Amino acid sequence: MTIAAQPGGSVVDMGLSADLAAAALDLARRFHDGATLWVMSPQWEPHAHHVAVEFVHPVIMGKRALPSVALVEPDPVAQVRVATSPGDLLLAVASANEPAVVDAMRRTPAWGVLTLWIGSGPRPPAGAANHILWIDSDDPMVPATGKFVLMYHLLWELTHVCFEHPGLLKPTDEETVCVTCSDEGRLGEIVLEPADVAGQALVRTAKGEEWVDTTILGDVRINDLVLVHAGAAITRLDDTWEEANQ
Amino acid sequence: MTTHESESTGFLYPFIESEETDAGSLLDDLAASARGKAAESARLQRESLDEYAPGLAAAGIAMAERFLRGGRLYTLGNGGSSTDAATLATLFSRPARGRPVAAWSLAADEAVVTALGNDVGFELIFKRQIIAHARDRDVAIALSTSGNSEDLMTAITEANQRGLLTIGFSGHDGGRMAAAEDLDFCFTVHSQSIHRIQESHAMLGYRLWSVTQEHMAHSREAS
Repeated sequence: MTIAAQPGGSVVDMGLSADLAAAALDLARRFHDGATLWVMSPQWEPHAHHVAVEFVHPVIMGKRALPSVALVEPDPVAQVRVATSPGDLLLAVASANEPAVVDAMRRTPAWGVLTLWIGSGPRPPAGAANHILWIDSDDPMVPATGKFVLMYHLLWELTHVCFEHPGLLKPTDEETVCVTCSDEGRLGEIVLEPADVAGQALVRTAKGEEWVDTTILGDVRINDLVLVHAGAAITRLDDTWEEANQ
Repeated sequence: MTTHESESTGFLYPFIESEETDAGSLLDDLAASARGKAAESARLQRESLDEYAPGLAAAGIAMAERFLRGGRLYTLGNGGSSTDAATLATLFSRPARGRPVAAWSLAADEAVVTALGNDVGFELIFKRQIIAHARDRDVAIALSTSGNSEDLMTAITEANQRGLLTIGFSGHDGGRMAAAEDLDFCFTVHSQSIHRIQESHAMLGYRLWSVTQEHMAHSREAS
């Protein structure tokens, strides 16, 4: 067992503090570019509301109000899907096995959304979110002891420090891939099924919406995840794929 | 939520450098700042629990006795504290372990809050709900980092008159809460930082819950 729910030492060690710092700089960069921070916490909705009010109405006078919204409808994945635009941010406060968060996170590459995941207990697999901010404790009471509140308070505080460094908020080098000669495969989500045998489906990717040939895959359904390569959907990503990669 | 916070980190970074390109030193500073603030948060939590250990034990036992008589818990707060009030209510009503009891946040229902705010005034959004819901065996916990929120104070006065057990979580110097005779217990977290106060409020609430659970588990042999 662990003492995380007890008043002990700080939960923020060298590793977690570095994770928080990197996450804050990414948050500040995306806000600087006009992002909205969407927040989901299906198990503990008040945490989602607390993050939103923290950014929208800062406790320190003079700090700028930033767009952040708690998504607490019964189907948060559907809510995130329609809410987000490419370049936005999604923060989840949830355990690693929360189904809605797992599903949302695997779809975010198709939505062009940068992700942060705060939680405790067993960790999500590496790469499940862009920034995993984790308390390694198996105590189920951690979410009620102020530790998560501390984590998003620190994120807010550090993000505003970053705004004092405008030179570091400029876009970093984008990864550039030549579509014609590379093996690029982009994650996409089916928006409209093919209307006829020609098999052209409307697909949402991080770059926006595009018509894609799906004849290789046969039947595709709305919200299916597919890999898009050179104008065609070449693979369907299903739960089997997800499990195999965990 | 609007009180000026003197603990701003701005003074650490006086060189506003639009030509700055190396993020390495900023990231190092941010990480060090995070560790410093987290250490202060943990220290304040420990200090608050130590200072109020007798009061928290007495309040938790009084709460347990009310729950065993069918009492329920109302939590109250504004802004970030309303979300902490909701987290506290959920800890009592849907705990990950232990025995659930009836509890909810009086800010949770936007229909009720906006109806009252629009029709009778924001300072009455909680008081009018206390009038509607409260029985003399119930408990009210008010969370305010300043201890001065008018909507909480009027509700606490009403709750006290109706025989509820009233508990306040305050901050800074305690504000009006620290002097209120309507509060059976007042726990003031001595800090100037709203963030650190809220983190300690959560820990004080967790301790109250722990004491309540402990007492409810042993009430049969005790009585």
